[in-house]
Amino acid sequence: MHRGRLHPITIATREIAEIFSRMGFGIAYGPELESDWYNFEALNFPKDHPARDMQDTFFIKEARSTKHEARNVLRTHTTSVTIRELEKMAKSGETEKRMINPGKVFRNEATDATHEAQFYQLDGFAVGAPGEVTLANLKGTFERFYREYLGSDAKVRFRPSFFPFTEPSVEVDAWFEPKQAWLEMCGGGMLHPNVLKNAGLDPEKVQGFAFGGGLERLLMVKYGISDVRLFHSGDIRFVYGFDTAPTGAEQTRKNTES
Amino acid sequence: MKISVLWLQRYFEKPLPSAEKLAEALTFHAFEIESVDIVSPQDAVLDVKVLPNRAADCLSHRGIAKELSAILNVPLKSDPFRDFLPMNDLRGRSLGISVEIADSTKCLRFVGAVIKGVKVGPSPAWLKDALEAVGQRSINNIVDATNYVMLDIGQPMHAFDSGKLKSENGNLKIKVRDAKKGEKITVLSGEEYALPEGAILITDGNADAAIGIAGIKGGKPASITEDTKDIIVEAANFDGTTIRKTAQALKLFTDASQRFQNNPSPELPAYAMRDVLKIIADIAGGELVGVVDVYPQRPVHKAVSVTAETISKRIGAEYSDDDLAGVFKRLDLAFTKEAGVFTVTPPFERTDIVIPEDLAEEVGRIMGYENVASAELAPATGTPDQNRFRGIERMKDMLVEKGFIEVSTQSFAPKGDVILANPLDKTKPALRPFLKENLAEALERAKLSAPLVLAPNEKPKLFEVGSVFSKEGEYLALEMTERVPELGFFGVPAQSIGIEEQEELGKEDFELKRYSLGPYKPFSIYPFVLRDIALWVPSGTDVGFTKPYIEREAGELLFRCDLFDTFEKDGKVSYAFRLVFQSMERTLSDAEVNAIMEKVTSALNAQEGWQVR
Repeated sequence: MHRGRLHPITIATREIAEIFSRMGFGIAYGPELESDWYNFEALNFPKDHPARDMQDTFFIKEARSTKHEARNVLRTHTTSVTIRELEKMAKSGETEKRMINPGKVFRNEATDATHEAQFYQLDGFAVGAPGEVTLANLKGTFERFYREYLGSDAKVRFRPSFFPFTEPSVEVDAWFEPKQAWLEMCGGGMLHPNVLKNAGLDPEKVQGFAFGGGLERLLMVKYGISDVRLFHSGDIRFVYGFDTAPTGAEQTRKNTES
Repeated sequence: MKISVLWLQRYFEKPLPSAEKLAEALTFHAFEIESVDIVSPQDAVLDVKVLPNRAADCLSHRGIAKELSAILNVPLKSDPFRDFLPMNDLRGRSLGISVEIADSTKCLRFVGAVIKGVKVGPSPAWLKDALEAVGQRSINNIVDATNYVMLDIGQPMHAFDSGKLKSENGNLKIKVRDAKKGEKITVLSGEEYALPEGAILITDGNADAAIGIAGIKGGKPASITEDTKDIIVEAANFDGTTIRKTAQALKLFTDASQRFQNNPSPELPAYAMRDVLKIIADIAGGELVGVVDVYPQRPVHKAVSVTAETISKRIGAEYSDDDLAGVFKRLDLAFTKEAGVFTVTPPFERTDIVIPEDLAEEVGRIMGYENVASAELAPATGTPDQNRFRGIERMKDMLVEKGFIEVSTQSFAPKGDVILANPLDKTKPALRPFLKENLAEALERAKLSAPLVLAPNEKPKLFEVGSVFSKEGEYLALEMTERVPELGFFGVPAQSIGIEEQEELGKEDFELKRYSLGPYKPFSIYPFVLRDIALWVPSGTDVGFTKPYIEREAGELLFRCDLFDTFEKDGKVSYAFRLVFQSMERTLSDAEVNAIMEKVTSALNAQEGWQVR
């Protein structure tokens, strides 16, 4: 029987998961339909604050009530998974954790070749005792990630930015050799103490970085895809638009155990 | 915000570096620059993307100049926020005006100046040029003066024709109050707006008539015209949330609303008034009758304490006390230092500096993130938990082994249990309750394009893993276009895959398949044409020997060629091929493809012992 095909996002996510696994990151999931608390408020977006304008949000008519919360927004980022994971940490008493959160997110904006109302985001965080996980570590983590994912000549630079949930906040640019250009890849920074407090952690004892960026954008750069709308079109011609082959020694398991 | 380099230069003694150098300095130490435009031989304009946390002080030339002063370590010639503020001279006269604020949580301050006998007319060249350089239209000297001050120091202002207000016993009255239910106002540009609940208005208190939507736009009734003689100039401060809600409800976003929604300091109006009065006196004359200042509660500025050690630990670079002191001085942040603890009292306009982490950012960016050496994380303790991911991916691998193609479809659907309040596509207002419909539709399209991607004997089979939303809640679903009975974990299509089950699957010892991906090759939007050809060749002729003949003769319009049938008879073997023709540029005609096939046929027939059937 002939083999089928995996979607390129699946293939890329596996490769990314493996790189982050080697740096000690697990993988976390959370709901796409979120509460205002996890998507905004716990992440230090005050109600009616202009920072919320940065993310055009889809709301649903009647909030879906679960035991603990009313879910009424389609998550605009998978940072909502980060805060849920930090909360778990507070409950379990862990003092360090590293996770990536790949998942679908939604933005209510007109679609074109570079904008989709739904796309995948790769968020993540690493926390530990103060001084153990720093902005310099964020740089080091991304330098390694891009070197392994984009090529050994990839470089990373930071520019100042603003996100309510990080302080300081930075934009992460990657040098992409084939294009001879710096490309804006994701945002990041040191988790804001309010976020840690909202998760039930003590910001004097636990600190760390968080980051997030679009997955499609990364693939578009790496593989030369010109239209983001192809990803979730359900079109098999897109899935077959790449030469693909199984690669080398499949070391996934070994690496996660090392 | 558009920032003129010529305008910035007024803040500096020494000539500033080139616009490109300024753009670079800002990009790496403060804000992204959207564009640099040369607007005249003397001037360039930077479009600065001021970050939300700095919109309170940096949506202004003064704010950007101050940033550049810190980044480039060049002092400002003078800083309007530190210069002498002669407000005391302006107050205490008989003003002929009173100001009443109905709700001091919504209007935090109102400074009003009364000027009599101004001469409204065109602005002088310097003012016109300055405004036009940053894309603003010059209107008249009075309006231009208020706009100039807003763009210069960030305080929105407004001027009213006081001759159009109702006087009672020779006194004018301004009242700032909530809009009444159903209240309407015609704004400067002529449109009428019905005000939403909670909007604040500037009103003529004696006539109880609206003359402006507070913090957003002035009204038509008391607008400045060529005939205006007496004016009231307003410099006020309004609650950001109120302004933001009103602007959103009215879909009326202005330079003023953009600034007020970010809660600039209520200290600003006094400085703005000082500056605008000077400009108006210079370019429109008139006599300043007086200034009224209603400022119910001055905000308290709290000091923030920090040490070099805590900042170093956050950034991951070694900063000394001297580094901190240097950065604070450059940024004009007053501080005291005792036993290694810096206590910083931010100036009034820096409303963003509230906690020690805010100062870590100031030190990090001014010292430069390029000077933060990257460091790898220490090795993690324990095994990272990727079990659930591995479980989900394992199921995908099993399906791929069975010939399934993974697709990804949209989460929005025409019908479902969960309905969006603000759908982007009105025909798909719901969240998908299952994957079935999207997948069925994808399969129909897959059948049409199957010859392009699959061999002739392969049928497309699809699957998707994705979140679905039902009355019971949200869950991750797996859906296939065909049942696979031997997949024991989830025999029934589209059933929910329990999270624990996914984790269990992921815990077992196995390796996920890894694939390399080549560069993306776009597909053609034009239809393809199919042709079959069968060929007799002597037994023992390898198919790999015959195929290149076909490919060479068929040329570049041949998209793919697959062998789909082989049989042997009487010392001959028949190979049957399916040829798919497609162009990236146009629809192919039958005649065109027929001509190619004739060419292929004669080329094959020309080979000794070969015969096209």
